[in-house]
Amino acid sequence: MSSQTTPITDPAQDLSLAERLVAPDGRRLSNPELDPFVADIDPARLRELHRDMVILRRLDTEGVALQRQGQLGLWAPCNGQEAAQIGTARALDPIDFVFPSYRETGVLYARGAQPGDFVRVWRGEEGAPFDPQQLRVAPLQIIIGAQTLHAVGYAMGIKHEKAREVAVTYFGDGATSQGDVNEAMVFAASYQAPVVFVCQNNHWAISEPVAVQSQFPISGRAPGFGIPSMRVDGNDVLACMAAMRWALAHARDGKGPAFIEAVTYRMGPHTTSDDPTRYRDPEELDSWKSRDPIARVEAYLRGLGEIDDEQIAAAHADADAAAREMRAECLGMVTRKPLAVFDEVYAEPHSGIDRQRDEYAAYLSTFEEA
Amino acid sequence: MTQLTLGKALNAGLHQAMKSDEKVVIMGEDIGKLGGVFRITDGLLDEFGAARVIDTPLAESGIVGTAVGLAYRGYRPVVEIQFDGFVYPAFDQIVSQVAKLHYRTQGRVKMPITIRIPWAGGIGAAEHHSESPEAYFVHTAGVRVITVSNPQDAYRCLQQAIASDDPVIFFEPKRLYHHKGDVDLDAPLADAPPMGLARVVRAGTDATIITYGAMVSTALDAASAAEDEGLSLEVIDLRSISPVDYDTVAASVRRTGRVVVAHEASREAGVAAEVIASVTERCFEYLESAPLRVTGHDVPYPPAKLEKFHLPDLDRILDAVDRVLDRPNSLTGAES
Amino acid sequence: MIQEFHLPDLGEGLTDAEVVQWLVSPGDTVTLNQTLAEVETAKAVVELPSPYDGTVTALHAEAGATVEVGAPLIAFEVGADSPAERASDAGGATDTAEAADEKTPPNLVGYGAAPSSKSRPARRARRGVAASTSVDTAVLEAAPHDVLPDVPATPRRDERPRSTPPVRAHAKRLGVDLVLIAAEAGDRVITRQDVDAYAERVGATTNAAELQQETPMAAVIGDQEARETRFPIRGVRKHTAAAMVQSAFTAPHVTTFHTVDVTATMDLIASLRADRSLAEHRIGPLVIVAKAVCLALRRTPGLSSRWDDAAGEIVQPHYVDLGIAAATERGLIVPNIRDADRMTVTELADAVADLTQTARSGKTSPADLAGGTFSITNIGVFGIDAGTPILPPGQSGILAVGAVRRMPWEHRGEIALRQVMTLSLSFDHRVVDGAEGARFVKDVADILEEPGRAMLLG
Repeated sequence: MSSQTTPITDPAQDLSLAERLVAPDGRRLSNPELDPFVADIDPARLRELHRDMVILRRLDTEGVALQRQGQLGLWAPCNGQEAAQIGTARALDPIDFVFPSYRETGVLYARGAQPGDFVRVWRGEEGAPFDPQQLRVAPLQIIIGAQTLHAVGYAMGIKHEKAREVAVTYFGDGATSQGDVNEAMVFAASYQAPVVFVCQNNHWAISEPVAVQSQFPISGRAPGFGIPSMRVDGNDVLACMAAMRWALAHARDGKGPAFIEAVTYRMGPHTTSDDPTRYRDPEELDSWKSRDPIARVEAYLRGLGEIDDEQIAAAHADADAAAREMRAECLGMVTRKPLAVFDEVYAEPHSGIDRQRDEYAAYLSTFEEA
Repeated sequence: MTQLTLGKALNAGLHQAMKSDEKVVIMGEDIGKLGGVFRITDGLLDEFGAARVIDTPLAESGIVGTAVGLAYRGYRPVVEIQFDGFVYPAFDQIVSQVAKLHYRTQGRVKMPITIRIPWAGGIGAAEHHSESPEAYFVHTAGVRVITVSNPQDAYRCLQQAIASDDPVIFFEPKRLYHHKGDVDLDAPLADAPPMGLARVVRAGTDATIITYGAMVSTALDAASAAEDEGLSLEVIDLRSISPVDYDTVAASVRRTGRVVVAHEASREAGVAAEVIASVTERCFEYLESAPLRVTGHDVPYPPAKLEKFHLPDLDRILDAVDRVLDRPNSLTGAES
Repeated sequence: MIQEFHLPDLGEGLTDAEVVQWLVSPGDTVTLNQTLAEVETAKAVVELPSPYDGTVTALHAEAGATVEVGAPLIAFEVGADSPAERASDAGGATDTAEAADEKTPPNLVGYGAAPSSKSRPARRARRGVAASTSVDTAVLEAAPHDVLPDVPATPRRDERPRSTPPVRAHAKRLGVDLVLIAAEAGDRVITRQDVDAYAERVGATTNAAELQQETPMAAVIGDQEARETRFPIRGVRKHTAAAMVQSAFTAPHVTTFHTVDVTATMDLIASLRADRSLAEHRIGPLVIVAKAVCLALRRTPGLSSRWDDAAGEIVQPHYVDLGIAAATERGLIVPNIRDADRMTVTELADAVADLTQTARSGKTSPADLAGGTFSITNIGVFGIDAGTPILPPGQSGILAVGAVRRMPWEHRGEIALRQVMTLSLSFDHRVVDGAEGARFVKDVADILEEPGRAMLLG
């Protein structure tokens, strides 16, 4: 656990003070706090994490392409954040429940989302990508920070039942300015709810750098609410996993909420509607390229002699296959019939909507077949 | 039959609901030890414990947001917003989350949340303690809006709201909290009329007054006074303002042909506007005169000393009745 | 086959983009997602990835040109197993398989501006409605209209007459009461034509001076010094007058009188009133007469039949809708009790009380006034014995019931003071002959004289 007491605004310095297990060049670093949490991670497991990240990046690229081809209305890329998402999500217990924002493609993937699930909402077919109770992931959340309160409420329920589950919520640096996120930490601490807050500080909220949100490391806020926090290198998949395991154990053991700030970088635009060249320094982008999470773990594995070109190629082939599947699912989606607009607004019969549906149905029947 | 105040009837209703379903949890500011600033939750902490009667931090958005999380987990949260004027910080969670989640997830995630709000004016309160924000929620697809005007309805409708799998914004007229009425505590909930039904609280033949909440008793007073002039006024308590029970309303309008809709809330785009639009659509050929509204003015709620000039009273309602009956009224002057 | 790729909306509502540079040329083989071009939108410069594996056949815009969203950008020759082919086989809802067509929407998924169309805005084609510039009302009537289900099939007793505000205003100006028109119009919405036709029949005019409310004669304050006062003829009086005229000069009226000792009936009424269990039912002489009438009509149904000139038939109903004349503030009206012949005495009593109350409060509905097969008019309340009532239009019999008086009468061979009442029956001599009329009055009288005789008539 760490927290700074002085403001820091220089990213380079930021990172040196974040918890780390693998340096950007692939060297393994010793970290007495985190090492015990990943003692069980062998090279095979590391290769799996590498493969996960390769697939994720490929899916993400395909999402952008599909939008550019008019098959999706929008896509929110997570390029550069693979380690933060895969590392933390792979630490979850199947029974844990996740409340994401809208950029956690990697988390959905790790939880077992199907190829169509990644695109269903962006294509505009449905409001939620999958059955939340099945995947144990709440629907994507566009209202910034709202999901953090939901996670806390969920965790309050867990605590009421004395269950060994944890509610996890993902959000960005921008979100930490929202009232809801702060209220969530108030509630979480007040009730000692078993909830883990995962902030992916990717340094940008559309065009606003993180310094606009906070002059102080974000991980430094949580202790102010009474919540222990850890600042971790978000491009180090091993450290992310370790940090998440620390946080989950803390919550699961009844010690209350925990907070992780994964320091990473949004390599792409905010969404496919955004043009980062208007506000970003190309040098900054370059400096982060040298911290690439996939290259890092590859270098680490190569250094151990535990990965070869064939295995890397196989991972990329799997990634291409996954992308093709996602594309096929996307293009094959059938839009629901017009009256579906009225479905499931309420759980119980509702005279107002029944009448509107009937009127609209009558109106539609006046037309020749479309 | 038991004589209970509206506040005590609500308390009894909460008690019943919590007894019948252990998934019902109540949460809000000061509802535990204090029993709520209006004592509506009095005694419930002792009876059901702190795990189910939750004093929350002072954060309305947080209260509703965590209620959403509890609903995800399968609980039936009953949230108390301390005063009508304080619901706005929670507005986003209500409108963007509570109202939409069932629809977004095609019913896989239910939001059986009841949000109780002490509501409306007439008690000479300080600022922000007398608001009538119901129109915002009536306009929000995905939530139901219930109002009560008497202890029996308070007892019954609150339980129904809690039992409903839909989110319900439940408005309690605070000026009637201490008013007594008969409550049948033993009548089984299953036999009660459905939550969405309006009620003809007084039958009449000359005109229909449609209203809800504390205004129901004002309308009944107006109808009594009107008897002296030989007028027979029908008064309908909508109870559910989203959805509105237009079957009951339309049947009345077809009989009387004359309509006055009254509410405390301000006029522009208020519930009366919606009711009149719907009534006109459905009953145009039965209308003998244009339907009229009697409402609060389009001003921010005035200070206590001016409150009585803002809230509709018996005389304003009867002036509108005179208008719809083509009798001498404030617009035409004393002579016809 | 050739696949066209249209410029998609690249960023939430963009309408066009400028081609900055092409990175491929016709004839090039391209793979899926290979960058084809850079385009600049209002928001950003973006790369366009190829939607297909295939060969470029044509570029539809030059570098530097502005292309509208939805316009064709580039064409490909694709293989049979391209994703586009598979998608169109799968019946995907995308537009990538659409042929280049100006009216086809671009590759959008619910986002983005609609393409600006060169053709005129037009309605979607509807069933049974020819696309034409003028409105053909007859055709539109055939199309299914609104489904608002709130109009009841039959008029409810207590509902207002149906009309629209402008027609109501018009009726008011003419001094016409819609309730009376509704009695004929039934459940239909009363139209302006209905009002005008009715007004013509009763002689109403749109005299500007008649813009006031109808007032009972008593309320008109005339000039006391003048030698006469003028009361406008309107409303119920007008209607009633018209009805009487029509009846009086169409049906040959014959009136038969019979005076009857009703002491036994009055004793019966007294004992019924003493019975606590009947306390809530107001059983008076009128009710007993009504019951007697219903029983008598079984033997002499001609009294409740009617002369249907148009059909050339006398119509004999198998029910009795009994009219009870009521004097109201607005004038004389005759509301009916439906199926009075099926009612018990107590039911009749309640129906009469209800009807009277409704009439007094002016709430009699059009449905109540319609129909009627026989009527009773209680002139006894005015303290008189007999009269020659005029038949309500469409009816063949009306019985006026006089006051009950104590009079010296023959009783068991001696002179005694008995309670005596005169019945005056007017009937339509086209439908009813003298013998039948007399028999009817006698049957009614027999019951009133000796209530037990009702058992003989069932």
